[in-house]
Amino acid sequence: MYQEQWLFSAPADTGERRRRSDAAPLLAELLDEATVQGIADEAWLALVGEAEVLVPLPGEPVTDPISSWVEIVGPWNGAVVLTCDRTTAEELARCLLREHAPDVLDPEDVDDALGELANVIGGNVKAVLPGPSVLGLPAVGAAPAPGGPTDTCRIDVLWRGRPLTVSVQGPAGA
Amino acid sequence: MRALVIDDSRAMRRIVSGILEGFGYEVRQAGHGREGLDVLEQGWVPDLACVDWNMPVMDGLQFVSAVRANPAWRQVTIMMVTSESEHTQIVRALAAGAHEYVIKPFTADAIRDKLALLGLLPEGASL
Repeated sequence: MYQEQWLFSAPADTGERRRRSDAAPLLAELLDEATVQGIADEAWLALVGEAEVLVPLPGEPVTDPISSWVEIVGPWNGAVVLTCDRTTAEELARCLLREHAPDVLDPEDVDDALGELANVIGGNVKAVLPGPSVLGLPAVGAAPAPGGPTDTCRIDVLWRGRPLTVSVQGPAGA
Repeated sequence: MRALVIDDSRAMRRIVSGILEGFGYEVRQAGHGREGLDVLEQGWVPDLACVDWNMPVMDGLQFVSAVRANPAWRQVTIMMVTSESEHTQIVRALAAGAHEYVIKPFTADAIRDKLALLGLLPEGASL
């Protein structure tokens, strides 16, 4: 009898509540530019050099761009992408390698250094997103297409006067 | 003292190795966990292994488990050096047998402090 009453009084299950709670959180609700800037600043100081700063000012559009990124898979899915021009990437690699940098840089050294920067920034971005999440291995090449504006958090900065962007972005079409 | 630095990033291997060499360590490098095990299996057993987490072929956690499964390598102190900073991941690494955990980005001072805690700062290395 009790069960029958409960069945009659319960609202019809349209699935709406489940769909709402299962929806992936929007990045704009999880992360802001100041957080990304802080994470990037810390990575720069530790890896690039103690006197190296990222000035939060947009520069000219990057020509000859190269990107490195790591994917994050979890309650929020997307990628953390670092983009700059190739000359900047080479300069970054020299900073990371310090006295171990060869006179002529191997392209693999440049990719590796840029990938490691994305990895370190990505790992710390992952830590402020809801978990548990998995961090992918770094990739280097043409940047993956960004998601919509509500699923992208991007900072434009200058390093040694050169433009550089860090973008935390959901997948395109999501 | 000997240290084995395992990281898939050449740049990171050079950074960590440079810090350890500055403290007086003899350092070897490996690009992933399997390469690291190869070094140990060849008889070069380090006092300290600095291990990244996310690597191809064999990740850091698998490396830690493999080292801890071999009693002959019991004296190897393992320090995870990784950008994985979630609390659950740190607990997993320590439960698997890592002794310490350093989150990237780090400074040379952070590595020195951890080595001092572990009693692995060679004599003469400045505090």
